[in-house]
Amino acid sequence: MALLGGQCLSRTDIENIHEATLNILEDTGVSIGYQPALEAFRKAGARVKGERVYLSRKIVEEKIKEVPVKFTLHARNPEKNITVSRNSFLTAPGYGAPFVTDWNDEKRTASYADFENFAKLAGASKYLSMTGGNLVEPVDISDKIRHVMMQYACIINSDKCFMGSSYGQKKAEDSVKMAQILLGPEHKLDEKPALISLINTITPLVIDERQLGALMEYAKAGQACIVASLAMAGATSPASLAGTLAVQNAEILTGIVLAQIVRPGAPVVFGSTSSITEMKYGSLTIGAPETALIVTATAQMAAFYGIPCRAGGTLTDAKCVDAQAGWESMMNLLTAERSGINFVLHSAGILEYYMSMSYEKFIIDEEMLGMVLRFRRGIDVSSESLPLDMINKVGPGGHFLDQDHTFHTFKKEFWRPDICDRGTYDRWRTEGCLTAKEVAQKKYNNVLAEYQPTVLDPITDRQLKVFIDSL
Amino acid sequence: MAGFEELSKGVIGGNQAKVKELTQRLIDEGAEPLEIINQGLIAGMSIVGARFKNGEMFVPEVLMSAKAMGSGLEIVKPMIADADMPSIGKVLLGTVKGDLHDIGKNLVGMMLESGGFTVINLGIDIAPEQFVAAIKEHNPDILAMSALLTTTMLHMKDTIELLKEEGLNDKVQVIVGGAPISQDFADEVGAAGFAPDAASAVELCKRLLN
Repeated sequence: MALLGGQCLSRTDIENIHEATLNILEDTGVSIGYQPALEAFRKAGARVKGERVYLSRKIVEEKIKEVPVKFTLHARNPEKNITVSRNSFLTAPGYGAPFVTDWNDEKRTASYADFENFAKLAGASKYLSMTGGNLVEPVDISDKIRHVMMQYACIINSDKCFMGSSYGQKKAEDSVKMAQILLGPEHKLDEKPALISLINTITPLVIDERQLGALMEYAKAGQACIVASLAMAGATSPASLAGTLAVQNAEILTGIVLAQIVRPGAPVVFGSTSSITEMKYGSLTIGAPETALIVTATAQMAAFYGIPCRAGGTLTDAKCVDAQAGWESMMNLLTAERSGINFVLHSAGILEYYMSMSYEKFIIDEEMLGMVLRFRRGIDVSSESLPLDMINKVGPGGHFLDQDHTFHTFKKEFWRPDICDRGTYDRWRTEGCLTAKEVAQKKYNNVLAEYQPTVLDPITDRQLKVFIDSL
Repeated sequence: MAGFEELSKGVIGGNQAKVKELTQRLIDEGAEPLEIINQGLIAGMSIVGARFKNGEMFVPEVLMSAKAMGSGLEIVKPMIADADMPSIGKVLLGTVKGDLHDIGKNLVGMMLESGGFTVINLGIDIAPEQFVAAIKEHNPDILAMSALLTTTMLHMKDTIELLKEEGLNDKVQVIVGGAPISQDFADEVGAAGFAPDAASAVELCKRLLN
């Protein structure tokens, strides 16, 4: 396992934040806007007053114990199954952006065609672990079938795992039905889950009907959920990062406890996309160093509870693919890896604080992902990697370029870039002075032209289409 | 009167206690209530607005100034008729049906108030019919709708259509905002304006009423 690098909280800090969280849960409570959820909390012994649920230390501690430390998600190609655990570092593309920023930096509304393109790029990616979920919001598809159309595009364009809809109980149920059709009637979906879905709280301390309906439906069906909070420190949570961590913690634990009430052992992930408020505008900013601190602290809090966690990604506030997009994205991706985040949504394509997706950024982010994955692999120290005989043979003043050891080692030891230019100035000039963005554009066009997804068998394909038509 | 400048400073500093004290003192000294408002409270708030625009002041500071101004207004208000209360326009505000996102919209409301508008905040999950009923009741100059979700933002269009059916579209100007909203979307649904953030919403409303 990779050795981790990032910590920002001491053991005492973690315990203090945990205690503050328990105080919030017991004294302030969380607003739960869904009758079946209130009923479930009440039955489990929680204090419920109107729509407010108050969780005691006992319930929280008991239910957290039920959370599985790892679970496997099943893809249509079993080789692409992924295991979410306390040691994993899994990645999925950007999620939920309603816009696409094009080559000329113009922003436009995202369409289903964009969705299909991003599904293909994710399917073709050698680094991304999953196809993803709401790769963009295809606003040209009616709300009624948008969730299943998105899922269909994920299925048809890639054989990797994908995400379910979190837009309410009914749409979650549809997502589960689609997964069942895909994996066949013999597949015991509740024991071998296929879906992971993103359940977002509304900070501060609210979870709405839609997200709760989906959470309960997925828990019932044994499918995984990421329960995530997006607190904007200073606006929707305290301006102090510790206070923000306590508020987000209360929300996440409430969702996780509910999943365990519905089904003990339901697979869940402790999630955060919290950051600070840009006080110049009162708006969200995610490229801030405070984001990276919250990512790190989220990993530490989740480790304290022993629950797999999600945070970070190639996060930026930049409006186009520029240097700011690069430095902010790399900080937040590398931080996620270093601090022990297990599942990284928004690993490719995001611009402008989750608002937009970019094709060029997607390719450049994959390059960053390649670098970070190499970093994660660390340094192998063994008799083979300490070749004393060869060092002795080459001796002072010699070179290693023509040695067997070099020949057999360099390809596995060195990561190969696809975008980074490492040549000389003159070579770069003769080849047309291409910027990273230009190289990325070329690459994504090539991928879209050449990528052949594994063909889905026609019977399953037809069944999926019939199901969609029946809605 | 020298006290006005000090009162303005209290507003700029967001000092509620000081603003209350100075407002009371000015009243006791016989200052005209409208002068206290215009030369003291609103004068201070105008400076806050300009500094905010220049990036010298930040949202929490503006809101504290607005609170300070409000605490002064509260004291003066009973002394003048409602119709004489300075307001540059009335804005009806709400998050559309199916959407429970409250805070961005509230920020817009607070910024509008600190910019001199009268704001009626209907809250969240407001159906087109509720918007229409509230317009009939309050007669606002502007209807401002908010949405955070791509699935709920379509209700903005429903509301605008209903306004047309009810013949209210000439009486009120509609503006829209929220994370997934763009100028293109605003044009498409027939809104009079779109603002990308709370500060621009104030500018937009001022422009529309000019």
